[in-house]
Parts: sequence; C-alpha cells; structure tokens
Amino acid sequence: MRPALRCLPRRAIRPTPPALQPPAFTAAAAAAAAAAAATTTTTTPSQAHPALSKSRSFTSTPTHLHNPASASVNETEISHFSALASSWWDPHGPSRPLHLMNPLRHDFIRRCLSTSPDSSSSSSTTNLRYLDVGCGGGIFAESAARLPSTRSVTAIDPSPTILAVARDHARRDPTLAPRRGRLAYVNTTIEQLPLPERPADRYDVVTLFEVLEHVDYPAAFLDRVGAFVRPGGWLVLSTIARTWTSWFTTKLVAEDVLGMVPRGTHDWDKYVNEDELRGYFASKGAEWGAPQVMGVVYVPGAGWKVVQGSEKVGNYFFGVQKLH
Amino acid sequence: MDALVRSRGAYVCRSCTRSLRRQWLRGHSYSTAATTPDIYDVVCVGGGPAGLSLLTALRANPVTSHLRVALVEAQDLAKVRSWTLPPDRFSNRCSSLTPASVRFLESIGAWNHLARDRVQPYHEMQVWDGVTGARIEFDWGLGSAPPARHAVEGTTIAYMNENLNLTSGLLKRLDELGGVAVFDGAKVEAITYGPETEELDLRQWPLVHLSSGNQLCARLLVGADGANSPVRSFAGISAPGWDYDRHGVVATLEMEGDGWRGDQIKIAYQRFLPTGPVAMLPMPGRFSTLVWSTTPANAAVLKSLSRKDFVAMVNAAFRLSPVDLAYMHTQEAGQADEYSWRIQHTPHDPRAVPQEVVAVQEGTVASFPLRLRHADTYIAERVALVGDAAHTVHPLAGQGLNQGQGDVQSLAKTIEYAVTHGQDIGVTMSLEPYLSERYAANHVLLGVCDKLHKLYSASSGPLVPLRSVGLSAVNALTPLKSFLMNRAAGNPLKLF
Ligand SMILES: Cc1cc2nc3c(=O)[nH]c(=O)nc-3n(C[C@H](O)[C@H](O)[C@H](O)COP(=O)(O)OP(=O)(O)OC[C@H]3O[C@@H](n4cnc5c(N)ncnc54)[C@H](O)[C@@H]3O)c2cc1C
Repeated sequence: MRPALRCLPRRAIRPTPPALQPPAFTAAAAAAAAAAAATTTTTTPSQAHPALSKSRSFTSTPTHLHNPASASVNETEISHFSALASSWWDPHGPSRPLHLMNPLRHDFIRRCLSTSPDSSSSSSTTNLRYLDVGCGGGIFAESAARLPSTRSVTAIDPSPTILAVARDHARRDPTLAPRRGRLAYVNTTIEQLPLPERPADRYDVVTLFEVLEHVDYPAAFLDRVGAFVRPGGWLVLSTIARTWTSWFTTKLVAEDVLGMVPRGTHDWDKYVNEDELRGYFASKGAEWGAPQVMGVVYVPGAGWKVVQGSEKVGNYFFGVQKLH
Repeated sequence: MDALVRSRGAYVCRSCTRSLRRQWLRGHSYSTAATTPDIYDVVCVGGGPAGLSLLTALRANPVTSHLRVALVEAQDLAKVRSWTLPPDRFSNRCSSLTPASVRFLESIGAWNHLARDRVQPYHEMQVWDGVTGARIEFDWGLGSAPPARHAVEGTTIAYMNENLNLTSGLLKRLDELGGVAVFDGAKVEAITYGPETEELDLRQWPLVHLSSGNQLCARLLVGADGANSPVRSFAGISAPGWDYDRHGVVATLEMEGDGWRGDQIKIAYQRFLPTGPVAMLPMPGRFSTLVWSTTPANAAVLKSLSRKDFVAMVNAAFRLSPVDLAYMHTQEAGQADEYSWRIQHTPHDPRAVPQEVVAVQEGTVASFPLRLRHADTYIAERVALVGDAAHTVHPLAGQGLNQGQGDVQSLAKTIEYAVTHGQDIGVTMSLEPYLSERYAANHVLLGVCDKLHKLYSASSGPLVPLRSVGLSAVNALTPLKSFLMNRAAGNPLKLF
C-alpha cells in the first residue's frame, strides 16, 4: 500500500463547483491509479459492496458546466506536481509502476491496429500520428515517438510544471529533438486544443492512459476526445474498474483501515467499469467498432501481467476503432 | 547496403558519417572536426568474441538493424579478418562452445563463416581425481538421454574451437551485414560525459575519446572490453573477486593418433591435481589443446622446458602420481627420461587417459593468470557489460566464453524488446531484464567453478575422502550427472 501515500488527495485537486474536468491531473492520477493497482489482486467480489450496484453516471451534460476552457490546475496542484515531477523519470520512484506498464500499452495498441480490416496494408500500421491526452512527464509520448512506425506524437497536458519536466527530459534524446518533428508537447486541455477541420487530418491513434477515472463527466469528455480520432483510427485508453477489489484496496484499506492517506484520496465513485464504457460506445451507433479489451494485474516484484478477465476487477485497457 | 570504407584510420559507413555530421551541424552552430562527437545508439568497446557477436546480433536482426552502431577495438582487426593457419597448425587460444552458443551463432548467421573443418565436436568427458582416482564419465549414453532438442546434435557435448576462428568468422559476417562504424587500432583513452546545448542534454551520455582523436557519444555504451574493462571502471562498477594464485598453461599438442575411439567419437579429459585441474581437449585429427592450471612457479618451469621435456610433463600429468609430478617440476631438465622410467612403475589403464602426446607445436606454450571476478552489476545508466568485462571465471568448466555468448544473446533480446516498445535502449529501466536474466545464472556458475577448484586443490585433509565419494557418487547418480552435463552443454539453468 505504500505507493498510495503518494496519491493526490482528490478533494484538494477538484475545483468546488464541478467543472468539466479535463485530464488535468493525469500525471499524479496515473501514478495513483497504478499504485492502487499495485495491491490489486484478482479476487472476485464475493459480495457486492452496496456502492457497486450504483452505476457510473455517464451524463454528457454536466449540470454546472462552468467555463470548461478554464479547467486548469490550481496552486495546490502545481506545488504537488513540482514535488512529483522531480521523481517522474526516476525508475525507482513512485512512477515505477507506470514505467513498467508502458510496454503493455504498445502491445495493446499493436493488438488493436492488427484487428483493423485494413491492417495488412502498411498505411494503417506505419507513419502513424498519435495524440496523447494527459501525457504527464511523457513516458508514453516519448516511447511512441521513438517507434519506427510513428510519424509524430502530439502530447498534451494542462499542467505547465509537468510539461516542463516532459520537455526537459526529451532533450536527453536527440531522436526526440523538436526540429525532428516526432514529438511535440502542448500545454493545453483537450477542450482548448483546436480540432483539425478535415476528418482525415485527425489522429490515427488517440491515447488516454490512466485519465478517465479522474474525470467528472466521462461521457462529455469522451465525446470531445473521440472527435480527434480520424475515421479508421483508434481511441485507446486504460483505466481502473470500480469493483469490490479496487474499492477494498484503494478506499477501505488505504484510507479507512490504515489511515495511510486522507479520506477522499481516491474518488472511487469515478472509477469506470468496462461494461459502462462498452455501453457508452454502443450508444453512439455505428460510429465506433467493437471494443478490444485487455485486463492487467500488477504482481509485486514481477510487474504487470495480462490476465484474462481481470478487466472486470482492476486495471484494464480498452480500444475502439472509429468507423465513420 | 552501405559499403564500409576506411577513413581516418577507421571503418566508417560513409553515408552514415555524412548524415550524422549534417544532423550535428544543423543542430549546432559550432563545429570543429576534432571536437564534434558522433552520436551512436550503441558504442561497443572490445572486438573480442562477446563484442563481435553482440554487434552481429544487432545487425542481423531487422528490428535492431536501424540502430547506429560503432565498434572500438585496440587491435588491428585486419589481422583477425585475414587469419588463416595450415590445417595441421592450431592456435593455442581455444574454447569449448556449447550447443547453446552454437545455436545462437547460427541464428545470427555467423556459424557458417567459421572454418568448420577446424571445429571439433566432442562426445564424452572423462573427469577424475588425481589423488583418489575417483572417476566420473560423462556421455549422452543410455540412461542420460540428451534432451529432445539436442536430437540434431546427436551426442555432441560441446565443440572445441580456436577463438580466432570465432572472431574471424564473426568479422566476416559483420562485413557481410555492413553498417558498423569500425574504429580499430584505436584505444579508448578516456570516457567522459556528453555536452549540453540548447537543444540537447547529453550530460548522461558517455562520450568515448579514442587515441585516433575520434569522439563517440553513446546512447548505450557496451563494455565488451575484457577482464580489465575500462568501461566498467568508467561506470564505477567494481568487480570483486580473487586471484587463484594459479596460471593457466596452454599449448597445442600432437597426439599419437586420432583418439581412442577414432575421429567420430572424441573425448575430453580432465584430471584434478592438487595444484589445479589439467585438461586435454580434442581438436581435429591428431591434435589436442591443453589447459593446465597450476602454480605460477610450476607454470614458469613448464614454459622454460624443451619441447621434448614439456611433452613428457603433459603425459606425466595425466598418468603419474601427484608426488612424482611434483618432483618432476623441480627438475631443470631431463623430464623425458624421468617420465619413461617412472611410467613403467606406475600401473595405469592407457585407455582411461588421453593417448600419448608426441609433440608440442612450436610457439604455442603460453600462460595466463587465473582469477575470479564478478562485477557488482552489469548495468548502469547508459552502460552494459558483457563477457569477461562482467565476469571472469576459472577455466576448469570451459564456460568463460559461453557465458559471454549467453550475455550477448540476452542483451540483444533486451535491446530488441526496448526498440519494439519505444524505450530508450540506454536507460537502466530498459536494461533491467538483461541484468535479471543473466546475473543469477552467471553467479551460480561462478560459484560452482570456484567451489570445485577449492575442493580439488587440497591434497590432504578432510576434503579429500569427501571428494572421492563425491565423484563416485555423482557417477552413480544419473539425474545429477544429466544436470551437470546439461550445464556443460549450456542448457539454461533453471533456478526456480
Ligand atoms: C589464455 C586463455 C585461455 C582461455 N581458455 C578458455 C577456454 O578454454 N574456454 C573458455 O570458455 N574460455 C577460455 N578463456 C576465457 C575466454 O577467452 C574469455 O572468456 C573470452 O575471450 C572473453 O571474451 P570477451 O569478448 O568478453 O573479452 P576479450 O576476448 O578479452 O576481448 C576484449 C577486447 O577488448 C579490447 N580492449 C580492451 N581494452 C580496450 C581499450 N581500452 N580500447 C579498445 N579496445 C580494448 C581487447 O583488445 C580485446 O580484443 C581463456 C582465456 C584466456 C586468457
């Protein structure tokens, strides 16, 4: 449970009047979710916690939508990020689970791309343009930019502090030099990022890693993010299911029993279940194809393992192709 | 592919150099040819068996062949490349290659480039204790059936091969693959860290300064630079261990015949003497190679002897009692006569020992100090160690070079994984799988060899009866024997 200590207190980072929350806190959130999962086991809930029956509200029209464009980071967060930022790239620091998870992201994306009907033609698997939403310190963005099959990566995050870390770190690799055009960091929210007018100019792969579980209005958020996928492209995300196990490990044990982190550190109600995501994409009619799903479990000392069925329990990847 | 061209004392792919330089110039307003470092993904220091196979593995794999790689070697590689010897002469630096190493060399396309008629497979090992006479016989005979995947190799335990045949074959394969910037005849003079500019921060990138004046900046610096690895020193990795106060005496020997079981079934022999093991390993035809670990004083005597007396000493080492042998080491000369007299009074089964040595090839008697070293780690930020740079083992198991091949195979696989997952191949995070795969396995092997050496270096005391039980018991215990043989054949050690 130790890594949970480094989680952000969720109450502190959410502006009080609920605003449409872009992935403002992905940097810390990702570490938090991964850390939470670090203690996740594959135990199936024997008895559903009362909260489990409550399904996640997938409303796309937040009742108080206050100026979504201003949904950026407050001072508390910035200072917290500064603290976290210095350890972002420390392979033995709190972000280690994220570093270890990163290769699986590529495995999953490859798996998704290979199911595209046109995957045999190289046009859908090479020269790819990525948009990484909530890139944090750039663990995924850097790695995607290095792949020979990548044309470019646009990586966005609303925290200037964490982006400074990302940019500074990218200087350590000549391959990622801005003039090469493989990797561009943009300090923005997805709401403020201009949507390319022609659908064909949108992205081949839009990624959203460890972000969704920290968003207040996931449907509205996914509507926006999904718009950036070109027809034929993929939206790939990872998040953590809202289950007895995740409630047990992140809420009950860490917060209530051990008191390791302040109550409210994890907003467990915001975790998103796989079937809820399926429901969301199905509700969009023929716009999206059938989802690909991969459940992963963190085995202490051994890293992340793909475990079939674990998407119902803890961390999982979810990918959908935009058909139209 | 790009041809290798010789420029400024180094083989450099011309188009690579040009484009590298262009990139550098575009990024930086300053440029003086002498101080502008070339940027590489992998700079490998050391063109021995380990370094050459690593570069061959990287170049032969389509996933890693786009990496910019450079080789730095102090020696002139032209000599290695054009190495030849007549069929009845053999270099004294030979190593046994396990089937696992051979499979790896095949997979990177190098094995076919060796002079195969100079490679000798062997099928049996005879090991015995010089003090107690206890014996152990290793073969893939009935009861110790080889694992199924060895079916093709049949009964081969390992292959004896000259190190130069290996390095020369690897270089030919590398020439065929092309694309390596080769800086040979160039010593590493210093290793510092790279520069910082507005655009780039290479302050964690090793910068290798060569005696030729070249500077190579490395995303990943590989130390394949042998036991005294300058790369290891640069990385601040210590390699604790000890000297055995023993030297290995090597020589190429001509025998009375092809071996007791002819040219088809060849036998390796090893006898544990109180001063250390003496081993005779078969080479093609009537030839064998000797590795005799003994005290530095004895080694000095052996090297000073006439060829005739040296031959007598080797024959004595496999037949006479340790006491007789010790006496003969005190003679300044005349060992040949001494041997022919003493052997008449020493009952022995001639077929249980190697055939008689009839001659030693001129200029092949040499010796080298034996030591055990194991680096504290094989990886650091932007540094990886392979082969003798990472570990030096007692030669009694003939594993030194094979451990290096195992390292290289593992590191090449680790780099491939990193490339396919967009990782920076130089950072420790990417290199960790290499460390965890190799460290424990090497450590076990080093420990086993070291313990065997200690167990068999005592001529009296409580250990001696114990070890005779040991070898006899091992001989009777088929499963244990299979285990030991699988180690000798380089099959992966299962620790868990
Ligand atoms: C006499 C002898 C007999 C042996 N017999 C056996 C045997 O029977 N079986 C067995 O398995 N093993 C044996 N070994 C061990 C085996 O030779 C080594 O394990 C093997 O050669 C190690 O390969 P390597 O590539 O790691 O290092 P090396 O072969 O030592 O290669 C290191 C290379 O780095 C180069 N180098 C070093 N410093 C610099 C520098 N500053 N700048 C540029 N280049 C540099 C050197 O010139 C050298 O070519 C023996 C070793 C010796 C010395």
